[in-house]
Amino acid sequence: MSLLEIAGLRGGYAAADEIVKGADLSVAHGEIVALIGPNGAGKSTLLKLVAGLLKPSGGDVRFKGRDIAGQSAPAISRQGLSFVPQERNVFGAMSVAENLVMGGYIDGGHTRQRIADLYERFPMLGEKRRAAARTLSGGQRQILAMAIALMNAPDLLLLDEPTAGLSPRAAEELFGTIVGLNRSGVAILMVEQNALEALSVSARGYVLVQGRPEREGRAAELAADPTVRDLFLGGKSQPMLGDNGERSHRGMGGST
Amino acid sequence: MIVVQALVNGLVSGTLLAVPAIGFTAMFAVLRFPNFAVSGVATLGAFAGYLAYGAGLQMAGSLAAAFVAAGLAGLLFDKIAHLPLVKEGALPAAIASIATGLVLENVVRLGFGNEPRGYDRPIARDVFFGEIRVSPQQLETMGLALALMLAVFAALAFTRIGKAMRATADNPDLAALKGIRPERIATLASLIGMGLVGVGGMLLGLDSSIDPLTGTRILLSLFAAAVLGGLGSVPGAVLGAFLIGIAEELSVLVVGSQYRAAVGFVAILAVLTLRPRGLLGERAF
Repeated sequence: MSLLEIAGLRGGYAAADEIVKGADLSVAHGEIVALIGPNGAGKSTLLKLVAGLLKPSGGDVRFKGRDIAGQSAPAISRQGLSFVPQERNVFGAMSVAENLVMGGYIDGGHTRQRIADLYERFPMLGEKRRAAARTLSGGQRQILAMAIALMNAPDLLLLDEPTAGLSPRAAEELFGTIVGLNRSGVAILMVEQNALEALSVSARGYVLVQGRPEREGRAAELAADPTVRDLFLGGKSQPMLGDNGERSHRGMGGST
Repeated sequence: MIVVQALVNGLVSGTLLAVPAIGFTAMFAVLRFPNFAVSGVATLGAFAGYLAYGAGLQMAGSLAAAFVAAGLAGLLFDKIAHLPLVKEGALPAAIASIATGLVLENVVRLGFGNEPRGYDRPIARDVFFGEIRVSPQQLETMGLALALMLAVFAALAFTRIGKAMRATADNPDLAALKGIRPERIATLASLIGMGLVGVGGMLLGLDSSIDPLTGTRILLSLFAAAVLGGLGSVPGAVLGAFLIGIAEELSVLVVGSQYRAAVGFVAILAVLTLRPRGLLGERAF
């Protein structure tokens, strides 16, 4: 049984304006899955429909075998599915430590222990525990955002464009962090603009076009697929061609 | 020496002004509109405290009565009049809150008439520090105001619900995602914010007398303090209150007491022109 099973999912910001038009997708336990596609394909909307931030107008969303479609975002989160928004994903005026406490608000338990664990996993957070979140760099802020989401010990993280706005170097580091997280047992479904980079760390991928998955498959195969490459080479993926060596190197990490 | 005396007086009035300014700015941070009903609510608090004190309660008990009466009245009007309008924007809610202030002012007028009333406090000899004169009653009210402020800061910094309130002011969407219920935080903000405004009305009335316009007279100073410090910032409101309090006292030396009220206007004008986000910016507590 898959951890997350989506069938025929439809929905958008308004009933009259369906952005996701019948999506089928699954994530297995402990898997990294990349959701890629051109701008406006509905990738982020799909994540929000799954996370409960938008109400689906049709279709099934099953998490750990239970139907969660239409439930509130906190209710879904309590069952072990944590969503990390792309923007405004930390409490800027509050300290790093307070951000983590707020992340634990959702289930209220084990807060101290989990914060200690997160400081161990991300020493940067421990060093900056008293710093206001808005003073962190872009990459550090994304790590804090993920740490907030980890505070209720989820089985699945939904990441909405985690590397958006980061320098190539910071993006690469963050992908490394995501792989590390995944190795600790958390399944990850991520939406990414840096498509080929994302595929290089993922086990499987989906290419979403106009609200429907046009292709799915093993990440390495998708990354090598000429039509997929064409889809992204027209856009911003030019720099990624330049570091083939980098990618194949990290491709090994992604296959775990 | 007269300047030093004015500074001391300014510190005293700034401390008292800081209490309602914290309430005003905290409500703005969570509810996202300037609640001008603080004028009427401050008056209501002053009279509730007056009744409690007259009935034999101690000063702390009377301040508690002011807090509860003002908090409940503020919450009621937020629920029935202001918050339903916030969805249309901050301006309609702000305008409705001006009306609420007028309603409360006239309810008090209906009950107590226009004559000024004084808290019947025992008379005490002024204390002199060198040539600086302070009344023991001023010291007492200042102490109470400072204790209350410390309690508010401690609650916001260390309690779970205080942190949840700051989180909601900071990033409402993420707070809701983490299971913090926005309606609950809004209720708390109305209750505590307006409670502080009521206590502030009483503290400021203790020094002189109270009448139905007590709250209206401090509205401008209070708003100026919050804007000066940065709307939505609690430390900013305290800083703004001290600066406005001191500037008002000093202005009396320079331009005479009839222009004292101009200080608030000048401060607001200067902040909006030079630093629209206020001295501390919107740091949300």
